[in-house]
Amino acid sequence: MVDNSHNQELEDLREAARPCFQCGICASSCPVFRVAPEMNPRMSVDSIITDGQVPAEGNEWLCAYCLMCEERCPMGVSLTEILMGIRNISSKEGKAPPDFVESAEALLARGCLSPTSNRSVKKRVDLGLPDLPQPDPEHVKLIFEVTGAYEVLEANRVAVKEEAE
Amino acid sequence: MKYAFFPGCTMANRLQFAEKSVRMIVPEFGVELVDLAFTCCPEPNAVRSLSEDTWVTFAARNIALAEAENLDILTACAGCHESLTLAKHELDTKPERKEKANEILKGMGLEYKGTSSIIHVHQLLFDEIGVETISAKVVRPLPIKVVTHSGCHLLRPQKILQVDDAEVPVKLDMLCEALGMDPLEYMDKVMCCGAGVRKTDSDTSYAVLKEKMTSMVMVEPDAIVVFCPTCFITFESGQRITNRLFKTEFKLPVFYYTELLAIAMGLPDTDALLADHRVKIELPEFSDTKKEDSESIPT
Repeated sequence: MVDNSHNQELEDLREAARPCFQCGICASSCPVFRVAPEMNPRMSVDSIITDGQVPAEGNEWLCAYCLMCEERCPMGVSLTEILMGIRNISSKEGKAPPDFVESAEALLARGCLSPTSNRSVKKRVDLGLPDLPQPDPEHVKLIFEVTGAYEVLEANRVAVKEEAE
Repeated sequence: MKYAFFPGCTMANRLQFAEKSVRMIVPEFGVELVDLAFTCCPEPNAVRSLSEDTWVTFAARNIALAEAENLDILTACAGCHESLTLAKHELDTKPERKEKANEILKGMGLEYKGTSSIIHVHQLLFDEIGVETISAKVVRPLPIKVVTHSGCHLLRPQKILQVDDAEVPVKLDMLCEALGMDPLEYMDKVMCCGAGVRKTDSDTSYAVLKEKMTSMVMVEPDAIVVFCPTCFITFESGQRITNRLFKTEFKLPVFYYTELLAIAMGLPDTDALLADHRVKIELPEFSDTKKEDSESIPT
C-alpha cells in the first residue's frame, strides 16, 4: 500500500508541521472541537510529527475547513495544508467518506456540486436570470484524467462497495 | 467596470434571489457583468481533500477563462472566493504548479497567466465603490438591528484573502450602517456556521450552528446579514433542524447583503427577492423611513 510518493507526501507534511510545539490554540479555536472533541487538529499534527503517520481514526474528515486554527497558530503552521494533506493520503487509500466521493462524482458528471433541477431552472426563469454558459464536459473529464482524480475516485468506489458488502 | 461574474453553483441553483439581487444593484454603480462557462470553483473542502492537483487545475481553468477575456472575476460566494483566490496564490507563488496546470490547460486552448484578479461583491462594495457612495444611493433606510456573519472563507487566511480583519471584521457592519441598520457586536462573530461538516456528520454540524446562533440571539437582533450563499442556507434552513435536535427556538430572518441594498436603494421588484425567504420579516414601511428629498437627491 505504501509507495514512495506516499512517503514523500508524509515527509512534506512532517516538514510543514515541524514548528508546532503543541500549544493547543488550534483545538481551542476549532468550532468542531467545541462540540465534538474527537476532532482535534493538535492531535492530528502530533500524529504526523511523533508517529510519522496519518492518524488511523480519520477524524480529520470532521474538519469544517473554517481555517480558524491556521489563522491563530502562533508558529504559522498551515494546519489546512496538513489536514488537507492527511485527507489526500487517506483518499488514495480509499478512506474518503461517501459524501466527499459524491461531491467528486457530481463534479465529474455535471461540472458543479450543487445540482440544477427543473425547479431551480424555473426559478431562474421566473426571476429573469440569464442562462449560464455550460462548461465543455470534455474539459472536466480531461482534468480528472490528467490529475489522477479517476484513480482516487476508483479507490474510494471500491472501498464503498466493499463496505456495503 | 466590467467583471466576469462567478455566482457559484450554490447561489445559481439554490439561492437565485440572492444572485438576482447582485445583478440588480451592480448596474446602479456602473458595473457590468459577463457570464462565462465556468465549472464549480471547485468547492474548497470536498474536491481539494481528494486531490490537490485536481482542485488547483479546475480553478486554474476558471481563472484562465476570465483572463482570455481580459476580465477580473467577481465572486458572490465566500467558498468560491476562497477557492479561486487560494488556487491563484498557489499558481502565482509556485512556478511548478503553474507549469503543470498550463500543460493541461493547453489541451483546452487556455493558458493561466496570473493577470486576472479575483474580488468578492463584499470587496467591490466596500473597497471599490465605498460606503459613502452606497449611503448616498439609499432612499429607504432600514432601521433594523442585525448581526453580521462575513463567512470563514472571506476572512481566513487573512494574509492571502485580505477582505477584512479575521478576528475583528467590521466592514460588513459598516456596509449595514450605510443602509441605516444597527449592527450589533456578538461573542462568536468569527465562528463558523458549521456548513463544512453538514454532509459528513450532520449532528455535529448543527451542534456548531447551535453554538453560533446562541451567541447571536444573546444580543437580540432582528435579522442575520451574510455575504455567502452557503452560510445563508445553513442559518435559514439549519435553524429549524437545530430547533428540532436541540429544543432551541431560533427563528431569525437571513439576508444576503445585496438584497437589503436593493431594497434600501428603492429598486423595483424587490418583493420577488423576499418571496422565497423561509423566515419572514416585516421591514419598516417605505413611507415611514423614506429620506427627505433634500437628502436623497443631490442638488
